[in-house]
Amino acid sequence: MKERIRDLVPVAALFLLVFGIAGYSPGFMRPDNLLTLTADTMTLFLMASGVTFVIMLGSIDLSIQGVASMTSCIVAAMLPEYGALALAVALAAGALSGLASGLVVNYLRIPSFVATLAVGGIVTSVAYWASDTRSVYISQEDQDAWLDWATGNFLGIDNEIWTGLVALVLLTVLLSFTRFGRMVRAVGSQERAVIASGIDVDRVKLAAFVLSGFMAGLAGVVMGARLGSGSPTLANEFLLPAIACVIVGGTAITGGVGAVWKTFVGALIVAVVRIGMTFVGVTVFAQQIVFGLVLVLAVAITMDRSKVATVK
Amino acid sequence: MKLRAFAPIAVLVLLCLMIAVFSPNFLSVSNAIRILNAAAIPMVLVMGATFVILMGSIDLSVEGVVSLTAVVTASLVQNNLTSADLGYWAVPIAMLAGGAIGAVNGATHVLMRIPSFMATLGIGFVCLGISTAALGGFPVRIADREFRNITLGRTFDIPHGVYIALAAVIVAYIIQQRTRLGRWVYAIGTDETTARQSGVPVERTRILVFALAGIFSGLAGALAAAQLGQGHGLIASGRLFTTVTAVVVGGTALSGGVGSVLNSVVGVLIVVVLTNGMVLMGVPPFVQQGVQGLLIIVAVSLALDRRLLSVVK
Repeated sequence: MKERIRDLVPVAALFLLVFGIAGYSPGFMRPDNLLTLTADTMTLFLMASGVTFVIMLGSIDLSIQGVASMTSCIVAAMLPEYGALALAVALAAGALSGLASGLVVNYLRIPSFVATLAVGGIVTSVAYWASDTRSVYISQEDQDAWLDWATGNFLGIDNEIWTGLVALVLLTVLLSFTRFGRMVRAVGSQERAVIASGIDVDRVKLAAFVLSGFMAGLAGVVMGARLGSGSPTLANEFLLPAIACVIVGGTAITGGVGAVWKTFVGALIVAVVRIGMTFVGVTVFAQQIVFGLVLVLAVAITMDRSKVATVK
Repeated sequence: MKLRAFAPIAVLVLLCLMIAVFSPNFLSVSNAIRILNAAAIPMVLVMGATFVILMGSIDLSVEGVVSLTAVVTASLVQNNLTSADLGYWAVPIAMLAGGAIGAVNGATHVLMRIPSFMATLGIGFVCLGISTAALGGFPVRIADREFRNITLGRTFDIPHGVYIALAAVIVAYIIQQRTRLGRWVYAIGTDETTARQSGVPVERTRILVFALAGIFSGLAGALAAAQLGQGHGLIASGRLFTTVTAVVVGGTALSGGVGSVLNSVVGVLIVVVLTNGMVLMGVPPFVQQGVQGLLIIVAVSLALDRRLLSVVK
């Protein structure tokens, strides 16, 4: 029962926020406005959805903003010459950086926050190399030809939303109905027990990091498509909000507890809070302050302290 | 064990030899001064970070604290935005401000019982937010030429920033070797439970150490402001990465308990010499972050005592 209530707190918070802002500014509830808001949130959700798996393991991935920036550069630089191949290379590069993080964590036994910080540095270098250290523009023709799935619209709804929904459904199935999903949950709750029962924990972790890198890569591609350019610093402000989405949605950093739909709700909360702050007159710069505090608070609330003997 | 202790110095010497072979300019007095000058601010930063990492924690708020204290410093000396003119007094105030933020880091981490990397990640972003929001995204320019001498001025051809960094190292070394705080840091890093049972005030020490790290970051912020003649939200970008790299490359273990501020001195020199060497050899600057990333991975995997780690998160 207590857990049910805990599950619903983020949803309730989302509704409260939405109605709060609607009371402040009635135009907010117009369907087209809500759809735009959701579309704007999708890149953040894509980025956060992959990290959800890593956080559920009890690990963290700090390389996602670097990965997203890198894939935006790769797509922008390669599209004119290679077309669809550019997309494949970008997504593969995202997955590959996740693979690198996972291998470093597994085989060098380096804690994930340092491993991914380091991989993030390497990935940023790759981004600068791919983009020749500047912003690379994506021409309108290339955009129409290859990125319509991300920026066009279908049945009157922006394709970002469709992309986000597809990711939501696929990842939810992956987490809730597959062996891999169950393993992620198990490793997050009781890693030693899982090791003791003879399951290859390393493979589960590796897969989760690959997934996180892939989704961050996808987020970078969509971000680049939306902005019409790729740049090595494109996603630099996204790490904190992305982790905030996961935690605010109710996934605990101690691992074991969480869901992809929670991250979806978390992403909407982050977006609505951002809009709300703009309405109240908080500048973009000051929003970072609020997100920093929200992150700390959300971690404090969702963390399962019985699991860690000493908090370092 | 003995061998491992000397590994960082051996790496530094080898690195210098290799670069000297490829680029004769490396072994000149002017280049040595350039290296020392580039090492000054990172040196101050790692002094604080070392204590935090010795406890097995981490401080990811470095960039936030440095940029905020740089903004504080720049707005307290003669500048283009405020009417303040405190001159050198801006430095102790920046250090106090840094110490206060560090104490908030520590208190958040200890009292709310959340891991330090999350607490400092959040607070670091808060600081970055404050320093950009307070200025609306614009820099504060320092008009006080005299003040800028604290890093730029030279005595015996060596920039003052280098002397300040040296003083910071001495202070940190004394704290590490001669005070109870220093011994408690090692005790907590080695085994927190045992430390607690033998009467070490774990909570207080943790908060104090984060405050200490904040003071060093505050000093670094003041130095950065004086060096660049301004304060703004992005003044510290890249500092966190260099700091963590330097500490772990120097041989201080992220698991806590093993290492020393002297290790970190060597670590900073390795990172700075490597950067300097890459510039001399014409390697594009953007490769440096990647090389530092690789360095972190190699150094940490060499320094980790794997017997202690059955589960790595």
